[in-house]
Amino acid sequence: MSNDVAVDVRGLSKHFGDRVIFKDVSLQVRKSEVVAIIGPSGVGKSTFIRCINYLHPFDEGSITVLGHELHGTASGGPPPTRAQLREIRTHVGMVFQTFNLFQHLSVLENIVLGPMDVKKVPRAQAVERAMGLLEMMGLTARANMYPRRLSGGEQQRVAICRALAMDPQIMLFDEPTSMLDPELVGDVLEAIQRLAQEGMTMILVTHEMMFAKEVADTVVVMADNTIAEMGPARQILEAPRTLRAQNFLARVLRRNADEEARLTAMGGDEG
Amino acid sequence: MSFLHLWAQNLPAFWQGVEMTLELTALALLLAVAFGFVLALMRLSRLRLLSLVATIYIEVVRAIPVLVLLFVAYYSLGQIGIQMSGFTAAVITLGVYYATLYGEIFRGGIEGVQYGQREAAEALGMGSQAIMRRIVLPQAFLAILPPATNELADLIKDTSLVVTIGVADLMFQAYQASAANFHPMDMFLLAGIMYFVFYLVLSQFLTRWETNVQRRRG
Repeated sequence: MSNDVAVDVRGLSKHFGDRVIFKDVSLQVRKSEVVAIIGPSGVGKSTFIRCINYLHPFDEGSITVLGHELHGTASGGPPPTRAQLREIRTHVGMVFQTFNLFQHLSVLENIVLGPMDVKKVPRAQAVERAMGLLEMMGLTARANMYPRRLSGGEQQRVAICRALAMDPQIMLFDEPTSMLDPELVGDVLEAIQRLAQEGMTMILVTHEMMFAKEVADTVVVMADNTIAEMGPARQILEAPRTLRAQNFLARVLRRNADEEARLTAMGGDEG
Repeated sequence: MSFLHLWAQNLPAFWQGVEMTLELTALALLLAVAFGFVLALMRLSRLRLLSLVATIYIEVVRAIPVLVLLFVAYYSLGQIGIQMSGFTAAVITLGVYYATLYGEIFRGGIEGVQYGQREAAEALGMGSQAIMRRIVLPQAFLAILPPATNELADLIKDTSLVVTIGVADLMFQAYQASAANFHPMDMFLLAGIMYFVFYLVLSQFLTRWETNVQRRRG
């Protein structure tokens, strides 16, 4: 393993009781690589990326994140210490499907809390950094507002600022746009794309196929609780080799086509 | 107008009773809130044993009438050598009983905070204590305040039970006065009004506090 590997996942398995969430998942992510994970609902994509910052423990296998090794609970390795978890989580930022902003804190306080509490950054410095991030996202005017006053797209961009304020080396995105109204998706995707261009290492669970094709270097198709296929984004999305990946992509394409047809039909009625 | 005269005559004694009732309420509330918080944390604990002990305690204690608990604390414990004053027995009894009610209110408030926010705080690397202090409790507080205010009304009323073990509270003063002047109607009516005013002032204060916190959070 060369030292430009940011995340190294080997033989990861997890189940809740009798139910297998995923099994034998292996994946290497290089520094500055953007990996998009796609696949039908309920195949454990969200659970999988939560293993990388150990929000969820796993049963078997190992994950090496920026030199820290995490072991499965059933594979006998020692569980991570608090200091290790803090170290990993400080360097791995996460953005959630449901934004998860702290509802009792203003936008600015949401962003400075992590650096101040975890990294002991002085307040003045944390505020300066937060305002810089908000400016980059075009949200300066929202700094003193509370999350529930913001649109979903704004909330998600604040959530991205909150994660970036920790100066992470890796960013995890768990379906960052699937709770958003269609017209708000663009701003959030733009922000993610900008991060990719700046060389951020990212793992992204998404349903936006076009976006995955555009920003991801590598696409991973998860199906039937494991990795069905992975490879360069264009190749996987345009010419998948495995049957499971083909089936999934065919379904998604058909759904998109149906939607277009419906829109066309509606347009016709109006005319 | 004779009743006004009668009330005025007894006001100094009643006021002493009010002070005692206030003191009882404040101390019992303090104990109930502190112990209730511990019970809530125990019930929410991942350690099964802690959670089980708290659950059993809550289920047993809240099923027993407060008066029975009061007599156990004052009379029964004395029999096995644990002597305490009526006032101490009253504070402890009301405190441990109301802790079961406050414990359940706190647990509900804490559980009501959206799980995703805890997850987001964990993902930032925050420790569980910091998450409790900075994320969960400030939000649970708003959910806790209204039912906690309701329980406080019951607590104030239940302090009147201490008359049975001779603590000189408001009820005790009313009882004494009515025995001396043979005007139970006036005396207990006056006591009732005083309990009501006491509750009204407190609940107004708490409601205003709640509205303020809510407003501050946009």
